[in-house]
Formats: sequence, C-alpha cells, structure tokens
Amino acid sequence: MTFTRRTAIASLGATLLLPACAGRGGGANAVAVGSKNFTEALVIGEIYAQSLEAHGFTVRRRLNLGSVQICMAALQHGDIDLYPEYTGTGLIDVLHHAPMQDPAAIYRTVKSEYKKRFNATWLDPSPMNDSQGIVATQAVARRYGLKTLSQLATAAPQLRLAAIAEFLGRQDGLPGLQRVYGGFHFKDVKTYDAGLKYDALLHGDADVAQAFTTDGQIGANNLVLLEDDKHLWPPYNVAPVVRLDALKAHPQIATVLNGIAPMITDVAARSMNYAVDHGKQDPATVAAQFLKEHALH
Amino acid sequence: MSDPASAGAPVRFESVTVRYPNADRNAVDDVSFAIPAGSFTVFLGPSGCGKSTLLRTVNRLVVPRNGTVFVDDADVAGIAPERLRRGIGYVIQAVGLFGHMTVAANVAVVPELVGWDRQRVSARVDELLALVSLDPARYRNRYPRELSGGEQQRVGVARAIAAQPPVLLMDEPFGAVDAIVRSALQDETRRIARSLKTTILFVTHDVDEALRLADRIVVLREGRLVQYDTPLAILSAPATEYVERLLDTHDVVRRLTLLRARDAMRTQTGTTSGSIDAGASLRESLNAFLQGAENLAVTDDGATIGVLAFDDIRRALHP
Amino acid sequence: MNYLFTHLPQVGIYTLQHLALVGTSLIIALVIALPLGVYAARQRRVGRPLLGVLGAIYTIPSLALLAVLVRYNGLGFWTPVIVLVAYAQFVLVRNIAQGLLGVDPAQLDAARGLGLSSAQRFWRIEVPLALPVMLGGVRVATVSMIAIATLAAYASAGGLGTFIFEGLSRQYPAETLAGSIPAAILAIAVDALFRGIERAVTV
Repeated sequence: MTFTRRTAIASLGATLLLPACAGRGGGANAVAVGSKNFTEALVIGEIYAQSLEAHGFTVRRRLNLGSVQICMAALQHGDIDLYPEYTGTGLIDVLHHAPMQDPAAIYRTVKSEYKKRFNATWLDPSPMNDSQGIVATQAVARRYGLKTLSQLATAAPQLRLAAIAEFLGRQDGLPGLQRVYGGFHFKDVKTYDAGLKYDALLHGDADVAQAFTTDGQIGANNLVLLEDDKHLWPPYNVAPVVRLDALKAHPQIATVLNGIAPMITDVAARSMNYAVDHGKQDPATVAAQFLKEHALH
Repeated sequence: MSDPASAGAPVRFESVTVRYPNADRNAVDDVSFAIPAGSFTVFLGPSGCGKSTLLRTVNRLVVPRNGTVFVDDADVAGIAPERLRRGIGYVIQAVGLFGHMTVAANVAVVPELVGWDRQRVSARVDELLALVSLDPARYRNRYPRELSGGEQQRVGVARAIAAQPPVLLMDEPFGAVDAIVRSALQDETRRIARSLKTTILFVTHDVDEALRLADRIVVLREGRLVQYDTPLAILSAPATEYVERLLDTHDVVRRLTLLRARDAMRTQTGTTSGSIDAGASLRESLNAFLQGAENLAVTDDGATIGVLAFDDIRRALHP
Repeated sequence: MNYLFTHLPQVGIYTLQHLALVGTSLIIALVIALPLGVYAARQRRVGRPLLGVLGAIYTIPSLALLAVLVRYNGLGFWTPVIVLVAYAQFVLVRNIAQGLLGVDPAQLDAARGLGLSSAQRFWRIEVPLALPVMLGGVRVATVSMIAIATLAAYASAGGLGTFIFEGLSRQYPAETLAGSIPAAILAIAVDALFRGIERAVTV
C-alpha cells in the first residue's frame, strides 16, 4: 500500500511536470522508453526501463501508449527512443507483409525493413512468443485426446468455444483456422471479454478457449495449449524496437537489453502477467522482482 | 429629427426603379411623386404590385437601380443607412418584436441607439405604452410571447415611433390580426397619426383599410404608379379601369360605407343641426339626414372642422 | 469502488488533467467554430460542404486520428487537444449555424429597419436568439469531449482514461471504474450545468 501510494504521488508529480518538460530527452544519458498499454507490454517496458536505469540511464517512461500505430508514430516523432514490440506485429500490422512462419526469417525481414523505412532497428528477440492459441482444460484435453489443432479441427462439432469477439472475424482468427485446418465447426461459439473467457472455461461453460500463449491464466490453471501443427499463426517474439539515432548516441542500450533478452521466456511472461492481472501487483513491482530474480540488479 | 416635437418630413420619389436579381420585370418602375409632410399616405395594390418594395426604398432596405428618394429634401443614398433608419419608424406585418427582450426593452431600442439617457428612455417607454393603450405598469416587463397578436403590434408601433421619427413606414401592419382587432388598431393608428404629425407611409392591399386611414392613396400596379390622390378623388374619378375594379367605385352603397364625413365636407361654417365625427362614414351621415338633420357640424377631437349637407353626399357619390 | 478511494489523489490528478484537456479543447474549438458557424449560416453554399467535411472528420475513428497526429505532433497534451478540437467542430459549427438560421427573419428585418448595424444585429439580436441552440451544441460537444478525452491516455497525456485502459488491459474492473465513474460524473455534471444555462437563456 505504501508503495502504491508513493508511486501514485511520484507519478502525480511526474504528470504535473509533464507539460513543463515537454521537450525530448533530458540529460546526456536520458532514454525515453515506451510501451503499449496491456499488461505484458507494460511489464516488459518496465523491465527495459529498469535495466537501463540500473546501468546509469535516466529513463523517461511513456508507457501505456494506445496502439502499435501510436507507438510507431511516437518513435518516428522522437518522443520515445525504444519500446517492446512483437516481430509478428511488426511484420503484419506495420509492414503489411504476408504472414511468415520462420522466426529467424521474420526477424531478418522486420530488422532490414525497419532500418529502411523507419530509421529504426530491432535488438535481440526474446524466446517469449506471444502468439495466438487455443487452450483446453486438462480434463477436456484428456477426454477428447487433444494435443494439436488438427485434432481439435475434427473434434470441434462436439465442443463449445469461448473467444473474444474479434477472433470470429479476423483472418488470423476462426476463419483462418477453418481455412488452414478445415473443419473447426464448433457446436457453439460464445464471445467473452478477454478476462472472462477463462472463467467460462474453468466454470465449464466452454470446452476450449481462444488464448494468447503468454496469458497468465495458462500457467496458473495448468491449461493445455494445443500445438499449431499447421502453422497458422506466425511467431510473435518480443524485442526492443530502437531508433537508430538513439542507439548511435547510446550504444550501451543494445548491450543492456540484449543481455536480458534471453531471460524473457513464455513461462516468465505468463507468471508476470498473472502477478499483474490476478495478483493486482504493479507492473513496475513485477518487473523489479523479475530483474532481481535474474540477478541483473 | 433633433426636435422631439418636430412635425413630419416630406418624402419624394423621383423616377424610382427597382429590379430584383433574376426578376424579369421591374418591381418598381419609374415612380415619381411627392408626399407632403405630416400626411397619411397609403400605398394600395394587390400583392406583387411593388408597394412594399417602394416603401422599403425610403429607409434603404431596398436600393433602387435608378432614381432618387428624398426624405426631408435629402437624398437618402447620401445618408448612412443606420443613421437614416434611426430617424424613420418601421412597422412590419410580422411585427418582429425581439423575443429575448421585454416590452420596455423593445420600445427602448432606438432611443438607446441614438443615445438618450436612461431616465428619458424610461419616461418615453411609459408614455408610448400609454399612447398605444397598453398599461405601462402591466406591460413594461412582459415578454413578446406573453402578448396577443394585437398587443404585439401595439408594441411594434410604440417601438417604431419611440425616438419621434419624422417619417413612419408601416408595411401591412395589421395584416396578421383578426378583423375586430384590426378595426380597433386602425382607429388608434388614425388617432396616433393625428397626435404625432409624423409623415406616415402605410402599405396595404385592403381597400377598406386604405379608405379608412388615408389622406392620400397611391394606387400601384405591376410596379407602376397608376393614381395618386385623395380617397374621394380616386373614388370619384378613377384614373383607369384597373382603379375602378380595385376600389369597386360603381357600388354606391359601398362608397357610402367607405367615404367619411371628412372627405365630403366643406371647410366653412354655418348653421348646423347636429354634429358628426370626421371619421364617420357617409352612411352614418346619411342616416342622420334621414332622421331629420339638415346641416351637420363635422368634428375632429371635439373641434368643428367643417360642415356637411345632404348635397355634399350626393356630390361625393356622383361627381 | 475501494480502488477509487485508495487512489483518491491520483483520481484527483487525472480528473484535473481530464478537465484541462476538455477545457482547453473547448475554448480552442469555440474560437474556431464560431466564425465557421457564422460563415456556414451566411453562405449556405459553402456551409453545406463545410458541414460535410466536418461530419467526415467526425466519423474518423479517433484512435486512428490520434496515431496520425502523434506522428507529426508527438505525444503529450496537445495532440489529444487537436483530436478533441477536430471532433467538436461538427457539432459546434452545425449548432451555431442552425441557431443563427433559426432566428426569426421578421426580427432581423425589424432590427435592420430600426437602424441596428450588422454588428449590433449580430450581438444583440442574432446571438441571444440563437444562444439556446448554440449552447445545446456546446453541451453535446463537451460531453462527447469528456468521453473522447479518455483516449488521451493512449498518447501519454494522462486523464481519466489512464485508469480506464489500464484497468481494461489488466482486467481489473475496480481500476476501470476509478476512471469511468469520475468521467461519468463529470459528463453528467457538465450536461446538467449546460442544460441549466440553456434554460436560463431560452426565451
């Protein structure tokens, strides 16, 4: 509580000062770190920010940005120097490239395209892959013998799906599953708010649920993530997108962030997401805990 | 304009022609005539004859293509429109009281524009409301929406004459009120006109109204002046068939109703056996003769202004 | 609800930021909309297409507009202000024009005939008579600005949206409520305030 209050007061002061120091950067070692506004982005943004701070940088946080478009606009405008992004998002949403399956190829593509088009680069990607997926409870997986999406495609007519609304319309959602795998005609499809689809699953109102592969609830509830054996979904590895100008000015950014990249795994991400979403912990606290555990502080 | 008790100003039209954009004929076509100071002149004709347009050239709401309008012998084109208009009262059929202002504020608009002090404005408002037969104490702070149509137009008249303009323009002012109210308003207008001595230019398409109010009538047709004379002269000698039809001059009974004692009397004195108001119709006068009167004294506000005999009525009907 | 009370100082700050965003935007929006609205009412040939353009702006998804503006104007206070000003134009200009066009022509004719100059007619007659309709526009615009201003959080400009979107992404309804309840109260209060003013100036 005291911590929350202190951060509240600190951010209170910071927000009041915001208009006053609206210019870019600050001191010689100042870096502006951005992030999108969902749990995982906030936590990874904090991890980047705190590890830079641990190495003597003064960090200005511009976390909570509303969309990938706003992040890219802010990066190009110079309001932020770096932010965590998913390779798949860069490929499809930013570059409007056709989906690709090979993580290394995707990384090479976004890196060279970003350099050409945005004067930015991608530092080393983390193993963490926040892709889409379908999860089932252990019991349902056992009863229907589900390990892969191919198996689910045939079993679908007996099963009820819980998903967020946009999953039903997007080409990388249910229509994509039907196109790549065939089948996938569920007995029933119900749409839920992102948080509630897990409740539906756990309460038995649905048999399988659409998920993001680093959702905290997967680890916490020991859910089975079905394998995308026909590779519908491209990999979404996370990595810092950095302005080349900032990197030139502070080459140490790369050393610091490449140093922690390997620690950010699916398992670590799930537990951090869970700590924020369900433990109601502050993303900054969770990030600090993560860095402490990985002995980087 | 400076002297509050000033008499009316003469108004003169010289070859006035008005053409609206995209119109295929002139709305007012080469009209010339002069209105003496202090007279009550009615512009008469069917809709579209140009009477309103002609009226609106006086305060420059309409600008003639050709010709000149003089007010008090000054070319109105040479006077700044706002200054000109503050010296010319303006009453319209739709009244146009300002809905967000009280009756008093409406009446006070022009006096305030021309810079009267507050006390003088306030006194003038009360005086005017009394003049148009509205109790100042009851009406001063009302809003237009709280008034009947007739009451609104009384306020409209008060507003128009508030700053004692030498000229008052009235554009079908009673066209929107019912017949009984109209009749009362006409009587009051006549009374006010007499007490003000302002030059009044009054537009109507209602022949009865014109004959009731006018010292002089201007008959217009398709933008042209057809006849300009006193009611009696026009009824007696219509200039064209158009005027005959418009005023139905052949109908003797009608003419009896329309002509007033004032129109037929002789301005002389003599022995009289009874009296009649100058505004009474010849029909009423005839009634008096039929009941045995010989010569009637014609009175206006109590003063005798002439004598009316039976022969005068006959002369008025058959010139 | 508990979250709201334990974070009261932050709620206060976000509310003030929110008010600053909406207040600044409203003032700028009015400065632009007044001449545009008057012009649209006077020149109907220009007014119609103008309202069409403003209506089109009104339909641009606000998040997309925000992203485009961040590219040129950066993060922070002024970018959401631009978005709010742009969105408010349609309703403001429309109502200002409608208010002026709705003024009884007889009153304008009378005003002209009585010798009021065009400036006097505008300020003493047209504006007071059009005011209820104009204020209706200001009310609707302000209430919708209070809603749209939550998007400022997307561009690092603070406001009550910070709680709302953080709560949504963390699936923490209490935090979302800490943003949406004050925003709703603000909207209701502003709505009531303007309705009161509208009633006071309606003739």
